[in-house]
Amino acid sequence: MKKGFFKGFILLLTQLSVFRLLAQINTNPHINSELYGTVIDSTTRQPLEGVTLQIKGITHSTISDRKGKFNFKTGQTFPYKLVVTFIGYQTKEITVSQSPVVIEIQQNQNRLGDVVVVGYGTQSKKALTGSVTSVDVDQIRSKPAASFDQQLQGKVPGLQVTANTGIPGDGLFLRIRGTTSINASNEPLYVIDGVFVNNESLQKITTEGQSNNPLADINPADIASISVLKDATATAIYGARGANGVIVITTKRGQEGTPKVSLSASAGAAWAPKLWDLVTGPEHATIINEAWVNDGNSYDTRPFRPVSEGGRGLPEEQQTYDRLDDIFRTGTLQNYDLSVSGGNTKTHYYIGGGYNSQQAELRTNDYNRASFKVNLDQQLSDFIKIGTSNLISRSYRDNARIGDGPKGGIFQAALHTPTYLPKFNEDGSYAKWAGFDNLDVLIKYTNMHSISLRYIGNIYAEANILPGLKFRTSWSLDYNNYEEYEYWNSYTNLGSANHNYGQSAVSRNTIWTNEQTLNYQTTFGQQHHFTALIGNTVQGNSEGATIATGSNFPNDSYTEIASAATTTSTASTTAYKLASFFSRVNYDYAGRYFVEGNLRADGSSRFGADRRWGYFPSLGLGWRLKKEAFLSNTDFVSDLKLRGSYGVTGNQNGIDNFASRGLWGAGANYQDNPGTVPEQLANPDLKWETTRQVNIGLDASFLHDRISLELNLYDKKTTGLLLNVPLPQSSGYNYILKNDGEMQNRGFEFSLTTVNVKSKAFNWQTSLNLSKNKNKILKLTTPIDASYNTERMVQGYPMYSFYVYKQLYVDPETGDAVYDDVNKDGVITAADRQIVGDAWPKLFGGLTNNFSYKNFDLSLFFNFQYGNKVYNNNRYFLESGGTRDDRRAMNRNQLNAWQKPGDITDVPRITTVGNNYTLSPISRFIEDGSFLRLSTLVIGYNIPQDLLNRWRIKTARVYVSGNNLWLWTKYLGPDPEVNVTSSSTVMGYDLGTPPQPRVIQAGINLTF
Amino acid sequence: MRQILYLLLFTLSLASCEKFLQVDPKQQVDQSQSITDQGSVETAVNGMYHLLGSNSYYGSNFPALSYLSAGDIQWSGSQAAPQQITLHKITADNSYVSNAWGAIYQTILSANTIITKVPEVEDPLFTDSLRNQYVGEAHFVRALCYFDLVRGWGGVQLILTPTNNPHDHQGIKRSSKEETYAQVLKDLHEAERLLPLATDRNRATRKSAWGVLSRYFLYQKNWDSAAYFATKLIDDDKNYQLLKPYSAFFANNATGTAESVFEIHYSISSTNGESNWWLPPALGGRREWSPNNKLVSLLNDPAVGGNRNALIAQTAPPGNLWYGKLYYRTPTGTDPAYILRMSELYLIRSEAYVQKNRLEDALADVNAVRDRAGTPPLAAGSSARQILEDIQLQRRLEFPFESDRWFDLVRTGQVAAVLGITDPRKYVFPIPTSELLADKNLEQNDGY
Repeated sequence: MKKGFFKGFILLLTQLSVFRLLAQINTNPHINSELYGTVIDSTTRQPLEGVTLQIKGITHSTISDRKGKFNFKTGQTFPYKLVVTFIGYQTKEITVSQSPVVIEIQQNQNRLGDVVVVGYGTQSKKALTGSVTSVDVDQIRSKPAASFDQQLQGKVPGLQVTANTGIPGDGLFLRIRGTTSINASNEPLYVIDGVFVNNESLQKITTEGQSNNPLADINPADIASISVLKDATATAIYGARGANGVIVITTKRGQEGTPKVSLSASAGAAWAPKLWDLVTGPEHATIINEAWVNDGNSYDTRPFRPVSEGGRGLPEEQQTYDRLDDIFRTGTLQNYDLSVSGGNTKTHYYIGGGYNSQQAELRTNDYNRASFKVNLDQQLSDFIKIGTSNLISRSYRDNARIGDGPKGGIFQAALHTPTYLPKFNEDGSYAKWAGFDNLDVLIKYTNMHSISLRYIGNIYAEANILPGLKFRTSWSLDYNNYEEYEYWNSYTNLGSANHNYGQSAVSRNTIWTNEQTLNYQTTFGQQHHFTALIGNTVQGNSEGATIATGSNFPNDSYTEIASAATTTSTASTTAYKLASFFSRVNYDYAGRYFVEGNLRADGSSRFGADRRWGYFPSLGLGWRLKKEAFLSNTDFVSDLKLRGSYGVTGNQNGIDNFASRGLWGAGANYQDNPGTVPEQLANPDLKWETTRQVNIGLDASFLHDRISLELNLYDKKTTGLLLNVPLPQSSGYNYILKNDGEMQNRGFEFSLTTVNVKSKAFNWQTSLNLSKNKNKILKLTTPIDASYNTERMVQGYPMYSFYVYKQLYVDPETGDAVYDDVNKDGVITAADRQIVGDAWPKLFGGLTNNFSYKNFDLSLFFNFQYGNKVYNNNRYFLESGGTRDDRRAMNRNQLNAWQKPGDITDVPRITTVGNNYTLSPISRFIEDGSFLRLSTLVIGYNIPQDLLNRWRIKTARVYVSGNNLWLWTKYLGPDPEVNVTSSSTVMGYDLGTPPQPRVIQAGINLTF
Repeated sequence: MRQILYLLLFTLSLASCEKFLQVDPKQQVDQSQSITDQGSVETAVNGMYHLLGSNSYYGSNFPALSYLSAGDIQWSGSQAAPQQITLHKITADNSYVSNAWGAIYQTILSANTIITKVPEVEDPLFTDSLRNQYVGEAHFVRALCYFDLVRGWGGVQLILTPTNNPHDHQGIKRSSKEETYAQVLKDLHEAERLLPLATDRNRATRKSAWGVLSRYFLYQKNWDSAAYFATKLIDDDKNYQLLKPYSAFFANNATGTAESVFEIHYSISSTNGESNWWLPPALGGRREWSPNNKLVSLLNDPAVGGNRNALIAQTAPPGNLWYGKLYYRTPTGTDPAYILRMSELYLIRSEAYVQKNRLEDALADVNAVRDRAGTPPLAAGSSARQILEDIQLQRRLEFPFESDRWFDLVRTGQVAAVLGITDPRKYVFPIPTSELLADKNLEQNDGY
């Protein structure tokens, strides 16, 4: 009985509790020897706290203190064998024959040995049958991104992350194993300490394209572990919400021991390493004149002729004004984190505070976040434990309209205003061109900001009902209050037209969750290990927004909507609910054969009563070959496991809360009287989108774990897509949401870690990961155009395929662009558009090299994408052959235009007539977006222990780091890592996107 | 034990779950509750007018198709769709074309629903005269919709009942141009029969139906009827007049003037999008397009444009760019959309009289328009041809920023002569690509 209880407890509680228990079981017989010692990390030479030391063969054990010191008073006599175990380190057996000793233990390279966080619990990596990547959070933190999801870029096989812009806290394009859906969400599910967390932006006030990333509310420094759950076995426990993968995060919790104080501080600078190449003023004028003459007009009336003749002055008289230099700057970054953690046998605590501030490379865009974290765990009795996790943060953003559109468009005003046009009029007043505001005005007076107040937390209670049987209940809340504001004063166009214009919006999003789980663990016949989990979840989600708009202000000093003479306002709410039941059974025989089964049932209020419930099963199998006789004695192979899984997951995120109903909506007012109109056709048959996934995996390590690798092959097929099926508009509706269409994602993920050099002084380790995902729309009755009318979804082609007029060549004789006349009717019409490539990378991944020499360490991290296409729509505006005359700047590529018969170029003859510059979108602007980026370079130094002892500092590390120090690409824009919008049906479309910043920082980490 | 617990938990919770999972919308109502009594019919009729005036229809997209095509407006912005239209290089994926097409059919859906459902509404307080009025308004709006479709795209699919299921109207082919026009006439006659004889410039009445009938018969070259219905309104001079000066119908925030037979009313809760495209940035717009030099010089010529130069203005130096200011009310967006004005009825009647060889009467009507604009009258004794030419010029200067000139050039067969577009297949807009993809029974117009 006692043994069973003990064993169950070990598996149930966190490893730390285990150590504590083991310590408690100390018995104290005669003392025959006394051993003093220190445990240190063999690589970093730092003392390790919490290491378990046990005398082999007996139960006597102890734990190292915060200085890594321990002592044994034991009945054993020297020499005796000591077993040293510590999470994440290789277990070491040494024979001690005298005191004191220094024991070095080595960090575990063997990934099979890790314990990983999975849905509703942890599992030994050895026992996993699914595909889960556990991220080393210390490694990713050197990227100064505002949010942890951006820091994952290039670190997780199968996880594709592209930052939409170089603005901190902006949205990302993030996919786990490809895109599964068209109209439902493609974002993974985020679970933080068991709380389902919202990652959809609440933004209401437009910044003309981008939206904020709500995950930036979470301070990465509070995160203890990130697990990326990818295949069906790993995600099926989240059932209807697991189709796009799940990212499970745990935050730091206290450990038993004296208080540990950690302080880290860093500061640095960020700037844009490369900008757009625009033509000079004289070049611009020359091109416009050329267009004029090529159009068949008289040279004498060319636009840039002497002012005396009524022209704008000769080309050579034009000045060049650089606006990009005005808007891009070197921004400063700072980050401070302070935490205290510790506890006694019954109480554990973690208290953390952080402040992060980032100025973007682009003026008027700033981001800062202050956050506060409290985690507590309290053992009430031997049977009951309670605890809480709490995160409170405030993210402040200074925003600007950096996307598409002229009104207040700060970025386009800089990039798109022709370079020959002066910034000021002759009388000194602000000059405004091409529909844009004056850039100086925008830099000075743009007044847009948002404040996100976020609470994520839960309370839980755990009870050990019977030996091996544990019950847990929790209540969780994710509350986000998002406040936005914009004000356009009289100097801005928006302001001057409206006697100033202001808008204020407050949005609220609440997700509450109540969850019960019952966990049972047992072992029978020595070798049969068995665990089972059942549980249920109920969840409610409500969202609301109140927006007030004002114009007609007394003057620029009055900036609150309350001061406006004309105001309008609106308020709305919406809600949905989910209920779920889930279960999981794990069985393993002798650590050799593994079986895992999951079943989840989910009900959603979004579907009609008959279609509400979806059932999502999965099965995983594992075979650890290393445990078989034929491998157990092989030194070459340190570990080898084969695994396979199959299962079904679902998706309902991203669709409207009332998507299945036939609805009439209000707000269609006439003459200030309320009006109603038909809004949506009913589809009572609407149900869950279903994804079936097969995964086959191999985990292996060789030569005492010097080489370890993981390979996964997967095939995901999504059926019954939640699809806005286009209806003939003659029906009066644009579409109906139906379960229609099929999508496939197939690919592989490969990761390899090698310990190249391992010695006392010098260590070198390399990790490489490579992923490929091949996406294909298997079934789609009607092709659908994505927003921006450049990418189209077509059956048989991947998502994000560019649907364009294909420019074949520029006729060397005439200089005219020749387009592919697909239907051979002799004219170029919409029917001649075709698919030319897509935005998917053929391969992507990352390469990390870590070196350490004595107290120095160096880390180099490259990430790359290969084979992806980017539609460079900036060129549509900036390479428009004179059609945009004084309304858009021109890029230098325009100078490569055809000039005379015989010229070979892809930039057609400059003219405003004909097809040369009027068709859009065209294949000429599709570019190779492959890149290789030196994403992170860190050089660190651990200050020697003897120096630190004087100041009672336990560890101290100083470092300098650089990000994006080098970029290789053929892309004509500054950076191919771009996306114009957060819309999930658009990828690789460049318009109004500032490039990724180059960052250099220095910092220090201290623990006391 | 595990199984027992599982079963217990599962069965106990499932029943209460169904209740838990029932969440109803608060901003919308179920289709079945949409039209149930007089009050809900009234809001549905308001909604129909709102759709008629939506930004994709009369709120800018549809008039833009006409005035951008007519050769007097230049593209001065950055968007591809209006650029294509001004250059007469419209492709079938042009977003202005597809937006307008969709918005017109959306308006038709509202009208169809009212026409079908109102007779079924059981509400003892809902009087017959009110029922007739609402159904008449729906017929009037539907007539406008099909009139715009047929003059823009040619014969189209005639959808006359509401869509309740996605496949309700599957398999319907395009009707001929004549059949489409016949439907317009049928709806106009229904409207004329059902609507009250009243003067309301923002909602359909029997008088507004007469006005559109006059335009309809002009397009049909039925000169007698065109003149007949025009006369009905011209003679009603207590309610309908040509205001002096020209700008009186729009300047100084005027709305619903005696000039207007039918205009769409906008308010701060339902706004007109035109000013955004016309006004320069300093006035809150983006000047995506603007009057070209030809039109500017015509309007500024006192003998030709007269006081119609109030339609345009120039930005501050050093830009000095011309812009149209028929739509100028920002940020309120309350510029009306002018669908039928008295000057059009004078010009319709004048043309009809010319065709009937009543040249003196024709001259009087065209000179009424000239007089109001402050330009000298056309000399007595002008020939039929001279008068017809002048009618065309007056239309060009009267409605340069409304949905008239392109359709008028097509109607009178002048497109080739005036704009140099010789391919007659380009006299209609393309059926939107997206529509062809979604409806296999629909055929593209030739030439696209």
